[in-house]
Amino acid sequence: MKFYIKKLITLIITLLFVSFITFFAFQVIPGDSAVAKLGMDATEEQLFELRESMGLNDPMFVRYGRFLKNAITGDFGTSTQYNVSVGSLISERLPVTAWLAALSVLFMVVISLPLGLLCARKENGFLDRFLTFLSQTFMAVPPFFLGIIITLIFGIVLKWFIPGKFIPISQDFGGFLSYMVFPAFAVSIPKVAMLTKFLKTSLLRELSFDYVRTARSKGLKKKQIMTKHVLKNALIPVITFFGMLIADALAGSIVVEQVFNLPGMGRMLVTAIANRDFSVVSAAVLYIAGIVIIINFIVDMTYQKVDPRVRIS
Amino acid sequence: MNKKPDLLSIQDLSISFGERKKKEVVHKISFSVKQGEILGVVGESGSGKSVTALSVLRLLAEGGEITNGCIWFDGMDLTKLSESEMVKIRGDEISMVFQEPMTSLNPVLTVGVQVEEMLLLHSKKTSEERKTAVYEMMREVGLKNPELIYSKYPHQLSGGMRQRIMIALAMICKPRLLIADEPTTALDVTIQAKILALLKELNQKHGTTILFISHDLTVVRNLCDRLIVLYDGQIVESGESRDIFQNPKEDYTKKLLAAAEIVHDSSLGRASITSSVSDAILEIKDLKVYYTESGKRIFQKKQRKEVVKGISLEVMQGESVGIVGESGCGKSTLAKAITGLISDIEGEILRKEQKPQMVFQDPYGSLNPSKRIGWLLEEPLKLQKGLSKQEREQRVEEILQKVNLPTEFKNRFPRDLSGGQRQRIAIARAMILHPKFVVLDEPVSALDVTVQAQVLELLKNLKQEFKLTYLFISHDMGVIHSMCDRVCVMYQGEIVERGRTEDVFQNPTHDYTKQLLSSVPK
Repeated sequence: MKFYIKKLITLIITLLFVSFITFFAFQVIPGDSAVAKLGMDATEEQLFELRESMGLNDPMFVRYGRFLKNAITGDFGTSTQYNVSVGSLISERLPVTAWLAALSVLFMVVISLPLGLLCARKENGFLDRFLTFLSQTFMAVPPFFLGIIITLIFGIVLKWFIPGKFIPISQDFGGFLSYMVFPAFAVSIPKVAMLTKFLKTSLLRELSFDYVRTARSKGLKKKQIMTKHVLKNALIPVITFFGMLIADALAGSIVVEQVFNLPGMGRMLVTAIANRDFSVVSAAVLYIAGIVIIINFIVDMTYQKVDPRVRIS
Repeated sequence: MNKKPDLLSIQDLSISFGERKKKEVVHKISFSVKQGEILGVVGESGSGKSVTALSVLRLLAEGGEITNGCIWFDGMDLTKLSESEMVKIRGDEISMVFQEPMTSLNPVLTVGVQVEEMLLLHSKKTSEERKTAVYEMMREVGLKNPELIYSKYPHQLSGGMRQRIMIALAMICKPRLLIADEPTTALDVTIQAKILALLKELNQKHGTTILFISHDLTVVRNLCDRLIVLYDGQIVESGESRDIFQNPKEDYTKKLLAAAEIVHDSSLGRASITSSVSDAILEIKDLKVYYTESGKRIFQKKQRKEVVKGISLEVMQGESVGIVGESGCGKSTLAKAITGLISDIEGEILRKEQKPQMVFQDPYGSLNPSKRIGWLLEEPLKLQKGLSKQEREQRVEEILQKVNLPTEFKNRFPRDLSGGQRQRIAIARAMILHPKFVVLDEPVSALDVTVQAQVLELLKNLKQEFKLTYLFISHDMGVIHSMCDRVCVMYQGEIVERGRTEDVFQNPTHDYTKQLLSSVPK
């Protein structure tokens, strides 16, 4: 119980901090919504009036307080760029990003787990060396570049999908997913490479411990030792790393959405920053921060589940 | 017993290690174990005894290989069996108990699950029957409340309980041969005696044949019917264990016996102590030491637990005072308080001169593995200003010679050294500042008995040369007896008995002291 309350308080404090940083960043960078809306040719008078009506002339802390009050009630205001409520804007785009991230995480687990096990079981075998080589290569490739390569190979050469096309969820869920698979690969492949390597190292380290010898003396087969005894131990450090990778995958999806022309949070965020659309940016950043923190919370919980030694008494 | 047939028979067994350059560690040894007997295999570390034991189950570590000979078990040559055939024998016909029960158990599985797994592998029992069998086995190895213990993790149990779990695990399938590789070395002396008794009991009750491996002759003395003494991968002596103890034929066996006696004997090296005794170097008055446990519930305060409950103690210049007691009695906590490593204390600690130096139990864990020996030894000197680089290096070389190590060792890493050498380094580090007073916390407990004797000799020599005062902490009565002028027996945070070592050993008054003395293997 104590643990959950602690975590909840941390969550609130972090969100507050993030919101302030976002707000403050917008004060520092040149230009504001008024300039973005009226264009560079607007006169000072026009700008002043618009700012007055938007409340941009109030002192910073007053504006921050107002923003915070509205945010708590779930009202992030109106996008200056589209003139629609930020809430509806986000509810349209969040699912796209969420699915992209979820698919990437799924790929990360499903691919790296068996690969890591395989590499550890046949250390220095042909497959291990080949995969080590591959993972060194893929680790170094940024997701957006991978996105371009995937578009080139699967979209243009093999024609498995039409580059730039997007099927909304509401129209055809299956079609939506099939178009998400490629960007998800672009996001997850570098992470898969890292996870595989990390898991393999962790497994090999565990294999040198005494309890593995005990397991062998019990009459367990090598495969059983790996899955029943070693894997759970080896996952302990991997889980922490995995949590960091998930946050990283979210950040990666922002760029990849650009490459694949997906109408997700990432693309919205980039255009909103360019247009100084503060309401949209702050809402998006808070959402993403919230998701990252919640994922970290889940990681902490899993960690405890796996390692009884850190369990709270 | 001699008429019984052989259960295990090893013929001309050789074992090599290394991938390119093979090094033979066991050279054509032959011996056999009869049905129902307990055979002891004795030798110091590196003698090949553990390797031989592991080879029976074909569990040699990476790079290890049986290069010659046969291992006959029940009409089968184990060296010729395939891995899948071996899997059926491991755990079911032959099982094994290892030295360190903490690391030998999987830390993330409950001990119950780990014991039950044996039945899952080797029997067709239902889940219900398996549980009942596990509870029964746990009771048999002396664990009360098996239902409760079933769902505990290894780190939640004491060392003795963990070793009982290991034995339960090894015995639950009623194997015909149990290989016990130093099963009591990591345990306190009182618990050691109980585990030995348990093994004997299981041997008599189930007729389980036991191959018992140890470096400690005193441990095998009462337990084993026959003994084999291994040295450098060869059998130097074998026979009835009574005969070997009474008439050791080979020099090496004599040496082993003598080493065991140094550790358990008192007459050596305590001369010229009383003469140099003058005034107190350390005075402790009514010392209480606490450590804090965080509260279990959210609004509960942190709890201060009293570990040392009001101890008064004086240590005179030039004497050796022993503190003896089993693990958990607060002796290490006391040592840490004296050296200033714990600050949550009540009462008075009056130290004359500087803070005492300390030598810790685990010579590997207490040396930074990524630094060279020279750096480790030099570090305390760096904190003292006014010494040039050359002076420091000279001091390092000087101290290495004092602890009988070659000066080239300063370029090595702790991992390149054996346990005994590492402990010499730990001692050198404590001595390099020329302290008057040294606190030694179980300095030889992790070492082989022959190495133990050497390190104790070294400590005695250093004491005379530098006119040192020792506070010597140990769970081993034998070690205390050979090192200390006075002894304090600690039990649950209090000193229950104190006096001259000789007097306490000959006329113990407190029950706990008597218990400690009676569990020393003789």
